[in-house]
Amino acid sequence: MRAQFVLVPFATLAIVSPACATVYLSIAQAQKLMFPDATLTPDFRELTREQVSAIEEASGVNVRNRKVQIWRVSTGGWFIADEVVGKHEFIPFALGLDAGGAVKAVEILEYRESYGSQIRNQGWRDQFTGKRHGAKLTLTKDIQNISGATLSSRHITDGVKRLLATYAILVAQD
Amino acid sequence: MRSSSPKIERARPLLGTTVSIRVHGLVQADAHRAIDEAFGEIALVHRLMSFQQPESDVSRLNRDASMRTQDVHPATFEVLHWARAIAAASEGCFDITVATRLVEWGILPAPDSRYPPDPHADWRDIELGEDYGVRFRRPLWIDLSGIAKGYAVDRAIEKLLRHGATQACVNAGGDLRICGSEAEAIALTHEKPSAEGIPFLEVENAAVASSSGHIERRRHDGDIVGPHVDGRNGGAVATDRFASVVAESCLLADALTKPVLILQEASDALLQRFGASAHLYDANRGWRHLPGAQA
Repeated sequence: MRAQFVLVPFATLAIVSPACATVYLSIAQAQKLMFPDATLTPDFRELTREQVSAIEEASGVNVRNRKVQIWRVSTGGWFIADEVVGKHEFIPFALGLDAGGAVKAVEILEYRESYGSQIRNQGWRDQFTGKRHGAKLTLTKDIQNISGATLSSRHITDGVKRLLATYAILVAQD
Repeated sequence: MRSSSPKIERARPLLGTTVSIRVHGLVQADAHRAIDEAFGEIALVHRLMSFQQPESDVSRLNRDASMRTQDVHPATFEVLHWARAIAAASEGCFDITVATRLVEWGILPAPDSRYPPDPHADWRDIELGEDYGVRFRRPLWIDLSGIAKGYAVDRAIEKLLRHGATQACVNAGGDLRICGSEAEAIALTHEKPSAEGIPFLEVENAAVASSSGHIERRRHDGDIVGPHVDGRNGGAVATDRFASVVAESCLLADALTKPVLILQEASDALLQRFGASAHLYDANRGWRHLPGAQA
């Protein structure tokens, strides 16, 4: 175990980069992980106004987008790609359902940091190369880790709740 | 083809936050299998130790453990064991029975319980028996959210290492552990950054957890309260402090953030006892590093 604390001065913080995203999985990768040996067929739908009301009623969550990106899985089950609004940004995620409509997996596809994005920016970090003494802080490398007070994932759990209601109204009643 | 194996990182919503897992040194299929199993460990902790889910061990204990002994999963038992040890070492600053207060303040929902908690009950009333049996000597409610996240991270890291990962990081909403020979930088983010600059930790084979009551702070009976309670007197912990703890395990790092927020410099001996260190910030005093040089 080894740890060293370093304060990097703000004064040098000249340029704030555009929001920086961590891409975890593409939709195709998430599909392959959740349903490895299956073929997925798009079965995209558009919700009617009545369906939107029914989903909002059942889930208690607002429906922002009436388009539903849903795939039918050859071996049974469904795959839905969607997004929720996080603290500041959209967070795309994927939900896999088994043939009975139970949650098989939830994967976050991409995460955009609002705070801390500037420190992930290579140009910004380059300013510090060779400017430090003593410590060998690896600022020139990707800063992939952030520790802070825990942020709730409620927006994603609400998104899952909404998609389960969408499934119940759109697919299970087919 | 180990040389061509890039890093693979995934994230899922678990433990009430976003959990990300990153591995290096494994070919793609092996990396995904390792990550799946590591997420499985975190999902297990989530299932067993959630305060909100009615079928969790914690909910069952809060419902019935003051009336008769309840058998719990070995993982729950292990966390309860550590919670007691840290409560004893911190003279009750860290206390999982403060759930009662958090319910009172509206930070946690009231559990489905057959009894109201005894206001005088504390961690000493949690009896850990044989064969994973748990009994409460007085009616009380426990909340493991100040320690279980760290424990979940440890279990996930161990799973990744067993799969042969050479470098790995598991981050449960800011409570994280890094393994491998390479040092990594961690940015410490808090709501009101200091004028002095952006804080980083460079760590190698260590866990880091951070806590602050800032985001969840609210008014209760004219006072500002937050998600942290001083177990010794049930008082609210100042919500303008931010603490990051570095320790061997994420369970320790996670749990120790609470006594550090409460005791500040007086937590030196506690940190040394567990081989940990801490970085504490508030706007008036800036950064303080513990244990201090004189300790």
